[in-house]
Amino acid sequence: MKPNGIVRRLGPLVTAAVLVASCSSSQATSSPAASGGTPSHGGTLSTAYQGDIQSLDPAIAYDTESWAMEELLFSTLVTFDRNAKLVPELAESMPTLPADGKTYTFTLRKGVNFVKSDGSVLREMTADDVVYSLNRVLDPNLTPNPSPVATSFFGNIVGAADVIAGKVTAASGIKALDPNTVEIDLVQPDSTLLDVLADPFGSIVPKEYAKEDSAAFSAAPIGTGPFYLKSYTKGQEAVFVRNPQYWQAGLPYLDEIDVHVGVDANSQLQQVEAGTLDITGDPFPSGSFTSVVNDPRYKDRIVHQTLVSVLYIWMDTQSQDTPLKDAKVRQAVNYAINKDNILKIVHNEGVIANCIFPPSMPAGYDPNCKPYTYDVAKAKQLMADAGYPNGFSTTFYTDTADPDPQIAQAIQQDLAAINIKVNIVTQEWATFLTTAETPHAAPMGYVSWYQDYPDPSDFVDPILSCATAVKGGSNFALYCNKDVDAKAAAARGEQDPAKRTAEYQAIESQIMADAPWVPIWHQDWYTLLSPRVQTFYLHPVWYYDLGNYSVSGG
Amino acid sequence: MVANVPLSAMRRELGDEAVVSGRSRAWIALRGNPAFWIGAGGVVVLILLALLAPILAPHAPDLQFRDNGLTAAGDPVGPSAEFPFGTDRLGRDYLSRLLFGAQTSLTVGIGANAIATLVGVLVGATAAYVGNRSVSRRLGRWAVRLPFPVSSLLMRATDVMLSFPALLLAIALVAVIGPSLLLVLIVIASVMWTGTARIVYGRVLVVKELDFVEAARALGASGSRIFFGHILPHVLSLIIVYATLGIAGTVLFEATLSYLGVGVPPPAPSWGTMIADHVGYYATDPRLLMLPGLAIMGTILAFSLLGDALRDALDPHNWR
Repeated sequence: MKPNGIVRRLGPLVTAAVLVASCSSSQATSSPAASGGTPSHGGTLSTAYQGDIQSLDPAIAYDTESWAMEELLFSTLVTFDRNAKLVPELAESMPTLPADGKTYTFTLRKGVNFVKSDGSVLREMTADDVVYSLNRVLDPNLTPNPSPVATSFFGNIVGAADVIAGKVTAASGIKALDPNTVEIDLVQPDSTLLDVLADPFGSIVPKEYAKEDSAAFSAAPIGTGPFYLKSYTKGQEAVFVRNPQYWQAGLPYLDEIDVHVGVDANSQLQQVEAGTLDITGDPFPSGSFTSVVNDPRYKDRIVHQTLVSVLYIWMDTQSQDTPLKDAKVRQAVNYAINKDNILKIVHNEGVIANCIFPPSMPAGYDPNCKPYTYDVAKAKQLMADAGYPNGFSTTFYTDTADPDPQIAQAIQQDLAAINIKVNIVTQEWATFLTTAETPHAAPMGYVSWYQDYPDPSDFVDPILSCATAVKGGSNFALYCNKDVDAKAAAARGEQDPAKRTAEYQAIESQIMADAPWVPIWHQDWYTLLSPRVQTFYLHPVWYYDLGNYSVSGG
Repeated sequence: MVANVPLSAMRRELGDEAVVSGRSRAWIALRGNPAFWIGAGGVVVLILLALLAPILAPHAPDLQFRDNGLTAAGDPVGPSAEFPFGTDRLGRDYLSRLLFGAQTSLTVGIGANAIATLVGVLVGATAAYVGNRSVSRRLGRWAVRLPFPVSSLLMRATDVMLSFPALLLAIALVAVIGPSLLLVLIVIASVMWTGTARIVYGRVLVVKELDFVEAARALGASGSRIFFGHILPHVLSLIIVYATLGIAGTVLFEATLSYLGVGVPPPAPSWGTMIADHVGYYATDPRLLMLPGLAIMGTILAFSLLGDALRDALDPHNWR
């Protein structure tokens, strides 16, 4: 995923493996709330974004801005808490892990109501709605088209393939056992089912309202969330109002949330400074970053958190016309990149990535993984060993969004030091993505990967597996190691959290030795708050958990 | 009676051309126009700065000074003895980049405009001079006259090019082919020639009907002799004026393309890119935007003043 409303497409998810035990949340990082104390009830919170809301239909939307707003309107069977730990939401409790890893049974919470756009109750949610909602994501007649990401996420459910193919309208593996019980059967055991159900794709919608026209449902969404959509003026503002029927007593704190769109990052800062806005939705503009972060007035009002993301250089491991197919050359590139300098160029707005998994991921991060340090002499030696003492020239692709072209130029100077002459081509995002997804079109490039759910499998299967080293896949390095694939399949199904973490760390080390990437940094998300915002934190999956914030003096 | 008439009176009597040639009159008009001196001076200084950039620049334009060229927080440093105009976001010397940016701007400005002028003159003059013809052919028993509308074909093609949104066309071309200095040059030339073509077309249409052309034709002069010897000199002043004014537009076009990220590829310095890279600094370090902005403004002003002065000087209506 890519933030700021830029939809990040994903390659097909590999289905594989044995079972279960997903994120064992032990070391989730989260910034402290800007202000503590008991939250006040009532009041209006406002936030602003540059881009418009892409969609409020949970079956379609795939960007962090839409996700944050869908979290206000809808609920899922299970969800991620502020530490990215899976907790029950519409389910009464977490399902017990099945012995065969294939059958999940959810008991639904009773008395949960859908709320209409005037705040009145539509009716009570039942197991039929759950079955309908999950099938709707797979519906091939969904207009404009079903989300390829969501269909790949749910593709492992028994019968899902038939629904995607249009043969049947309901997957046989999604069953309402009684009005309060839902069973989901999988083809292959897979622990990430719960992660996928916790993403907004798993939102429960009323079957008589959410039809195949996605735009119509997005314009008048109905859900069981803490807020309902009162009004939305395209290009201007969306107003969310407190759901008086919300099942969780005493929540939410706020009466209203106003989301302004079409406000650029500079204006967002100015408005928060002037007190007319509560939260900056987009990252700070590069030129203002240092002055804002160092402003003593904002000391307690700036919150930041390392995202579950990695920004990296890929190298075409199967390149026919550049020496990059030689692992020694790719290792040399790893030694040649001055990551400290790149982090400085982005105002230290993140942390160095020595390996693939970010420290903010609940499981998998290995603080001891540091196979390459900045060492030009060693890089030159490796180039000579590989038979390229005089280097070579290649093309380096990046998108036009700031600061990516700047980072590319820093990389260019780093690689010039080991005689690799890099020609930079910057392309607008959509063109860039097409180039990157075309095998061998881009021998090198710089790109980011933001999690779909905070699990190490989401950093291996979609971007570093043989199955995704194809046209249209997100494995831009065309990295294909059968041994890694087998180990990843085993790790995905491992039940013991400690063992699973160890297995993923071994996979990470092996990939780093093969060096398809140069991981560079993990981004921090920064936001500036008005003094009245309380109980604020940044959410690891959808960044802003607007429904749980409050404002002082309500 | 005639003996003692002073020269000035003779000029009044016979008209200027009889005494002083048009070329000299143009120079007299130019000499007295301060705009000409400012414009020409500016252009000469610019060309010198661009040519001497390798000598004048204190540093290599692409060299990133990672320790002393950036603050610890990763921001550009301000002016100092080492970096007279400070550094940019990557710690590169700003003065050096401005100087080498002049090379980019002038290469594209003069190069693209030369191509555009050449193509424009060729198309416009050919269309006007050749006109719409027809060709006679014998097909079996029938003699057929096939229309061969050179003028209509060329000028309608020009209209088609004119009706394209120039910037969008340029962006699309660069997006498809990929950015390079040569491509930027060609792209700009391919959208700038249409104006020259239309103006030259109109003037040649008028000139070719004048009496002296008729006279030359009556004397048996060949088509090429009439065109190059009699018509072209009469549109030359027009071409010079539009070529000069066009450079200003071309420099701005290059800056626009670079600002939009489809100009010369990084790390080559370009004033437009320098502005685009530092837009976020408008509040905290406006130097980064003002310096390349002033460079673009100065260049456009110099070429516009020069072009205006030339136009005034070469227009016979202004010789008095």
